[in-house]
Amino acid sequence: MRGGIFAVLAFAAVILDSALAPRIEILGARPDLLVLVVVYGGLALGTRAATVAGFLVGLVADSELPAYLGLNALALSVTGFWTAGIWDRLVRGNVLVQAGVLFAASLSHDLIYYAIYYRNHMDLLPHFIGRYALLGGVYTAALGAVVYAVARLGRWEAVTDGLRA
Amino acid sequence: MVPFLTRVLRGNRELSTLVVCLTFSFAALLLPSGLKNGISEVISGAVLGPFKRLAAATSDLTGVRSENAALRRLAAGLMDERATLLGYRHENERLRELLDFLVTFSEEEALVMTPAGVIGMPGGRTVEGIEIDKGALDGIDPGMPVVVPSGLVGKVSRVFGHRALVEPLTSASSAVSVTIERSRVRGIVKPRFGGPAQLVSWGMDYVPARSDVRVGDLAITSGLGGVYPRGLVVGAVAAVAEGPLTMSVSIDPAVRLSTLEQVFVVTGTQAGPGIRTEEQLRLLREVEELRAQEGGD
Repeated sequence: MRGGIFAVLAFAAVILDSALAPRIEILGARPDLLVLVVVYGGLALGTRAATVAGFLVGLVADSELPAYLGLNALALSVTGFWTAGIWDRLVRGNVLVQAGVLFAASLSHDLIYYAIYYRNHMDLLPHFIGRYALLGGVYTAALGAVVYAVARLGRWEAVTDGLRA
Repeated sequence: MVPFLTRVLRGNRELSTLVVCLTFSFAALLLPSGLKNGISEVISGAVLGPFKRLAAATSDLTGVRSENAALRRLAAGLMDERATLLGYRHENERLRELLDFLVTFSEEEALVMTPAGVIGMPGGRTVEGIEIDKGALDGIDPGMPVVVPSGLVGKVSRVFGHRALVEPLTSASSAVSVTIERSRVRGIVKPRFGGPAQLVSWGMDYVPARSDVRVGDLAITSGLGGVYPRGLVVGAVAAVAEGPLTMSVSIDPAVRLSTLEQVFVVTGTQAGPGIRTEEQLRLLREVEELRAQEGGD
């Protein structure tokens, strides 16, 4: 059941990431909806599901930019893997913890993605990280807090308390 | 090395999943670009295609909606502009008519005229008075004739500072000495009332029986009496009825008082043909002065 809901949400995230994210841009920074869905996937379904979901969602997202097919898949599967693994060591049902993980996940995704993307122009990477990735991470974390609040109201324990709920 | 890695991966299913995903990811990254494009097209077409088409349709709909709103705004603006332009056209036609009047009118004596705007029409069912925006301070005096290109309007009855009241030909006390332009038959045009303030028609009195007057003949001012200058159109003969001693002649007035917007007050006469405005006279005076100065030098 959770797997099905998660698949639908992942699919929706891929669609919204290209359609909605550019419209809710703030100071050039966008929330990373793919990271959001992968992190919550890890929380609700575990490490393997998050890793595979990261790979698949990333691959679909990459199909929009064929020259870098596999890059998002790589970055998101790594992000899904480590964030899902870290939940065991954290207090899951805390909005600040979830926001912190989302921030770190967004940053890690951007670091992996853009380190490969800018591999021949590494001097551009710090500027990009400083200008967009940090702000994007904050934005994603803030959106995560909203998701947490909504989940709280809807009593979706898979999001508020994670796998053990 | 390989057996060690195999043992580690067998013992850790999460890690092995990641390794598989990473392997596929790197493999995808290293594919030739043609193959990448092909795979991307398949994924994009199968997974995102229907939603892209839906999004495009929605976007088109949104575009049509906003375009519709923009066109509505444009149409409202154009309607407003059209109304303004129609106003200008109407004004232009009126001014052109007035200009033609000034250019083509010819008499032995030139009429000196001051243009004035109509600002009111006191009266009930008939126009008993016309209020204009020029008065004593503009050189207007009682008794001065008021004309428009189509003919005679009436005469100034009262003057104020910058206002004056014009008594039109339709007023009860009005009487104009006219001549039938074609046959030079003379008579007096007066309004005929069926009751208080109920103008029935306009009639030409004191026309001897069997005079040469026909329907359609123009009645123009005769100049007799000294109130109105000669040659201004008063109206056209609408009907003729023979009587034992005099003829009953009905006149259709040349001027529609209810539609007047601008009139000319005849403030005086000047030797020579044509009609002149105060502005023209001022220019003529300046030219005369310049000529005098040149002659003096």
